[in-house]
Amino acid sequence: MSRVHPVTGVRQEPFILAEQVNKHFGKAHVLRDVSTRFYAGEVAVIVGASGSGKSTFLRTLNRLEKHDSGRIVVDGIELNDDVKHLDAIRREVGMVFQQFNLFPHLTALENVTLAPRKVRKVASAEARRAALELLERVGLSEHAHKHPHQLSGGQQQRVAIARSLAMQPKMMLFDEPTSALDPEMIKEVLDVMKDLAASGMTMVVVTHEMSFAREVGDRILFFDEGRLEQEASPEDFFDRQENDRIRAFLGHIVH
Amino acid sequence: MNGLLAVWPREWSRERRSTATIAVASLALLLFLWVLGRLLSLLPDPVHTWAGEFAKGTVVTLELTIASGLLGMVMGVLAAVAKMSRIWPVRLVAEFYIWVLRGTPLLVQILFVYFALPSRLSLTEFHSAVLALGLNVGAYNAEAIRAGIQAVPKGQTEAARSLGLKPLQTFRHVVFPQGMKIALPPLVNNIVALLKDSSLAYSIGVLELANAGNRANAQTFLPIPLFTTTAAIYLVLTTVMTQISGAIEHQLDVEGRAV
Repeated sequence: MSRVHPVTGVRQEPFILAEQVNKHFGKAHVLRDVSTRFYAGEVAVIVGASGSGKSTFLRTLNRLEKHDSGRIVVDGIELNDDVKHLDAIRREVGMVFQQFNLFPHLTALENVTLAPRKVRKVASAEARRAALELLERVGLSEHAHKHPHQLSGGQQQRVAIARSLAMQPKMMLFDEPTSALDPEMIKEVLDVMKDLAASGMTMVVVTHEMSFAREVGDRILFFDEGRLEQEASPEDFFDRQENDRIRAFLGHIVH
Repeated sequence: MNGLLAVWPREWSRERRSTATIAVASLALLLFLWVLGRLLSLLPDPVHTWAGEFAKGTVVTLELTIASGLLGMVMGVLAAVAKMSRIWPVRLVAEFYIWVLRGTPLLVQILFVYFALPSRLSLTEFHSAVLALGLNVGAYNAEAIRAGIQAVPKGQTEAARSLGLKPLQTFRHVVFPQGMKIALPPLVNNIVALLKDSSLAYSIGVLELANAGNRANAQTFLPIPLFTTTAAIYLVLTTVMTQISGAIEHQLDVEGRAV
């Protein structure tokens, strides 16, 4: 189960362990025996066609979707119906959504401070200070007092990333974070994500941005019809791909 | 009619215009109550003679509306939350309450509360009317609030939960405020309807505005000036209320949908 860290040579336990995970939506079998591991400090990028189960798999990792069978263990805690486990895990695993899901009735600053104040019971002034620092980090400190509707999509997504970081998660999940953005805004979000990866954050990213996957990913996971079809290094995946189906997929996307 | 909001200078911010509207409309309402008696006594008879009764009745009508409006808001939130409960007996109680209160005439409810409730409760006419009106509008509010809460996108709950907020915190800080905002226009309708429906309290002898007009007519047999006055006062009250609630709506509309 453990692995030897590729750089440091230290033996390390997986941060997330998924074993034989299955999931149905009605009759549709959307995840089929998915098994993989995610290690601390790693950036894993999940790619695949729409409907391949990649987003669903990501959402099972903090139990926004329940898996029907199999096992998911996050930081030593098994995901099941135990609410205490769930709260513990959700404090440690941040999530960024395709549609941002900012709270529209709160300002950017209030979006970032809400969870630290209510969940971690951080004092208002301290939460505010930390939030302003995070907004600065994503380049939005001058927009702290705006409501989400006054921000562009790219700015909203950066606030959402700051909001997630405010809980000081050990790991971040990104569910197609740039898919709802206009092309000119994609870069500003990807830049923030690159900085985050460079800072050593453990990340699992579902995306269609192949250049991001190649540049930032330590490992590429390819999903097809609910199966984890391939796990490979970016070099093997993009440059030495032998699977015809994946070559066809890449041919459609990479230009 | 959203007239007042448009009066303010264009360069004023949305909040400023709403606040100004609320302030001016509230002041206008107080001023109206203050001078109503004197104003009406300037008119020829029979309104002149009955001016004091009209003024007192108007105050009672407003008191009825505010008291039962508050009760109705509390009942509406409770019943809406109960109706969405995971515990079926709670759901059943809420559904029964809404079913009965929306399915029977308000007049019958007022008469029931006043005459049929145990006399040891010794409710006055006014309190009976507040109870009946509040319970009635609460049932309508419940449906508006439930619809509002259910219209909040699922992604909001997911985002809050994935940040570690507990279900109750998610409801209180994320879903409920947004749901109430969506529910505001129908809630305002309910309150304006309540102001008018409070006239049914005359049936148990509450000395409110409609009753003042009715009693004056019974003594003078001059229905045209008396009921015109009654209706005109109601019209002023509903107009002011619409202005205030429109401004509140405007203030809460942080998404800027309504300009």
